[in-house]
Amino acid sequence: MTITIGKIVKSNTHVDYVCQIYGPGESDVLPQPGDYSFGTFVSIRLEGQAAPGERLVGVIYNTLLMNPDFGNLGPRLSPRQELEVFTPDYLAETATLVGIIALGWIDSGGRPWQGVPAVAATVNTPVHRLEDDELCLFHQGDQGRLNLRYVPMLLGQNSPLVPQLLLQIVDRLARLFPQERSRLAVMRNNLAWKNIVQPAG
Amino acid sequence: MNQPVAIEPVCVGTVKGPGETPHEFTFIAPDPDRRVKHGEFVYYLTQVDGQERRILGRVTGRESVRLFPDSFMADPSVPPAQIAALLGYDSDASELFEITVAVLGYHDSQMGEFINPRVPPAGGSPVYIADDAWLAQILSKRQRGEIGSAHLGSLLSRAPDAVPVALDVRGFTSTHLAIIASTGSGKSYLAGVLLEELMMPYNRASVLIVDPHGEYNTLQEMQNLPAFREGNYKPRVRIFQPDAVRVRIDTLTLPDLRYLLPNLSEKMQYQLSRAYRFAQRSFKGGYTLEQLLYAVRQTSDNKKGEDEAGFDDEDDPTTGGLVWRLNSVLGNSRIFNDFENLELDELCAPGLCTVIQLNEVDQREQQVIVATLLRRIYQARIDTTKKKVGRGDKNYIPFPVFCLLEEAHHYAPASADAVSTDVLKQILSEGRKFGVSIGLISQRPGKLDSDVLSQCMTQCIMRITNPIDQNRIAESVESVGRDLLRELPSLSKGQVIVSGASVNTPVLLRVRQRLTRHGGESIDAPAEWHAWFERDGAAARQDTALPAARRVQREEDGDILFA
Repeated sequence: MTITIGKIVKSNTHVDYVCQIYGPGESDVLPQPGDYSFGTFVSIRLEGQAAPGERLVGVIYNTLLMNPDFGNLGPRLSPRQELEVFTPDYLAETATLVGIIALGWIDSGGRPWQGVPAVAATVNTPVHRLEDDELCLFHQGDQGRLNLRYVPMLLGQNSPLVPQLLLQIVDRLARLFPQERSRLAVMRNNLAWKNIVQPAG
Repeated sequence: MNQPVAIEPVCVGTVKGPGETPHEFTFIAPDPDRRVKHGEFVYYLTQVDGQERRILGRVTGRESVRLFPDSFMADPSVPPAQIAALLGYDSDASELFEITVAVLGYHDSQMGEFINPRVPPAGGSPVYIADDAWLAQILSKRQRGEIGSAHLGSLLSRAPDAVPVALDVRGFTSTHLAIIASTGSGKSYLAGVLLEELMMPYNRASVLIVDPHGEYNTLQEMQNLPAFREGNYKPRVRIFQPDAVRVRIDTLTLPDLRYLLPNLSEKMQYQLSRAYRFAQRSFKGGYTLEQLLYAVRQTSDNKKGEDEAGFDDEDDPTTGGLVWRLNSVLGNSRIFNDFENLELDELCAPGLCTVIQLNEVDQREQQVIVATLLRRIYQARIDTTKKKVGRGDKNYIPFPVFCLLEEAHHYAPASADAVSTDVLKQILSEGRKFGVSIGLISQRPGKLDSDVLSQCMTQCIMRITNPIDQNRIAESVESVGRDLLRELPSLSKGQVIVSGASVNTPVLLRVRQRLTRHGGESIDAPAEWHAWFERDGAAARQDTALPAARRVQREEDGDILFA
């Protein structure tokens, strides 16, 4: 079952989006923290000019909690349970935001492409969690071999979280593509050496 | 040519790109098993003339491209891998090496040599370690046990006996051989192995050994070992002790005489040359010392009449001095003789290993003995080849002869003038045509004449630590690569670099076990001292012990009468 985790509320760049995770009452199935964890692959349906069925594929690389009450040191008039009844709008202003980097897209024919998509997502577009089979599809090249062409783009983001994100992606793919473990191990070791051993020396 | 295909090629690395020189390339290898050693043989596959070939190369350098940071090694008791694991790097793949390979090429069995494709391998090509069977086939020009092969040992980078290497006997018997090593590195042992191989049924060589230390006695064991027998063949080993070595006086040339006689004045030299020519002319069948002295007197400027001549009353000081010197050197020598000589037919025969022991012989005499022997053998081979002598003649040698000289720097010194140098040089440069080949053994290549060393086209080089000797080898021996010469100080006893005409490519060998005992063992001084106490010490103590108190009778004045 495809789980919708939230909606696009903002973008920082052409590939860097901010998604607000659905809270209670916003979706039929409330997404669980595991559904929008660090390194989760998501898809964003493209609307407007894009061909029908075309969607972006991205990965969650950051999480941000919105709390308008932070820094307000005044007394709270009512406990949280009563807030839901008396001021539900106030609760809606607290939100969990996740950062998503678009790594590619799946065209209307269902064919995966990795790289910078031509068309951007629009605000309020729902974001779905990608299932394992879709994840496998997205990473498969022409001869069914594993592709990770988005790695240079990810590393180019200069985010301190990206190396750990990549290690997590590689570990997950090694479980999904057991036949590619040796290739993935080379890449993992290289990433780990550059990000774990060298900086610590 | 059908190349044997390896059953399971073991991939050890990936080509990075061309190296510094046109015949080098580099590859990257994790090498967790430490298989890619210095001198190891690896290959890559490429298409040459439409055929897939295995291009062999030798590892010449190894540099690390990925290392643990130095700070991980701050505590010697904590391995850096554990620090890395602590941080989350728990893979074993912590090391990467950049290996430099000198390309030898593919082996063409028809040409019998390696042909370099002259194109570096494509980047990213896999590099395999050469398998033992293939190496054994292509490194040696002859296979072990084949006619004309000399199995010296096995490749050092592999398990003992995994890749046997055999020298091509034809290679070094036509273009000479040098064994060079510092003392105690095993050069006599290696020479023993080589001699064993030469006397094997598949070689049956005619070998003459000049042995100034008396180390080759043990070769006599070959006569009784079954490994050396085949059908009616068994090798013979003749050992000439210093007492038995004879050089007939009329075989000495004028330079020999000049070299032997001390402090000759210009006038004496002039008279000696006249006397020599006189003796040559007058005594066609050979002459004795007396006849040579007669010739000296006859050629004197102040010649006396026949009846006036005498030994003790020379008027002419030149004649007197020359006669005195000839008498002193030749007359009192046990080596130089009027009639006896080492006959060539006694020294040389196929299946015969002759050892001329020259220990206790004066060095100048040694040089003259070697010079005369080599000259006679060489002349005999020339005469035999040109059919000037025939069967039954003592100088008839209808087969090639291999002469091995221990301590060769005595016979062709670099800085001094020895009488044997010229004949050695002549044989080294021209002996190939007449089937006389030389094997030189020396511990001081720096003291060996550089022309002589460079004429030896097969070289067996063992551990050498002296930089002067290392440089001399680098100058004189072209076939050994710089990378192998860098190994010289680190070689252990019994490890040898063999290069030149008798092998397809320079190889690093572990010398095989000798079948006969080694005669050149070092003396174990502490053991000998201990043995002396057990064996002779008691007797010696008895001899030197003071007598028990005896009754001493004294005379009245106190002198001892007897005790």
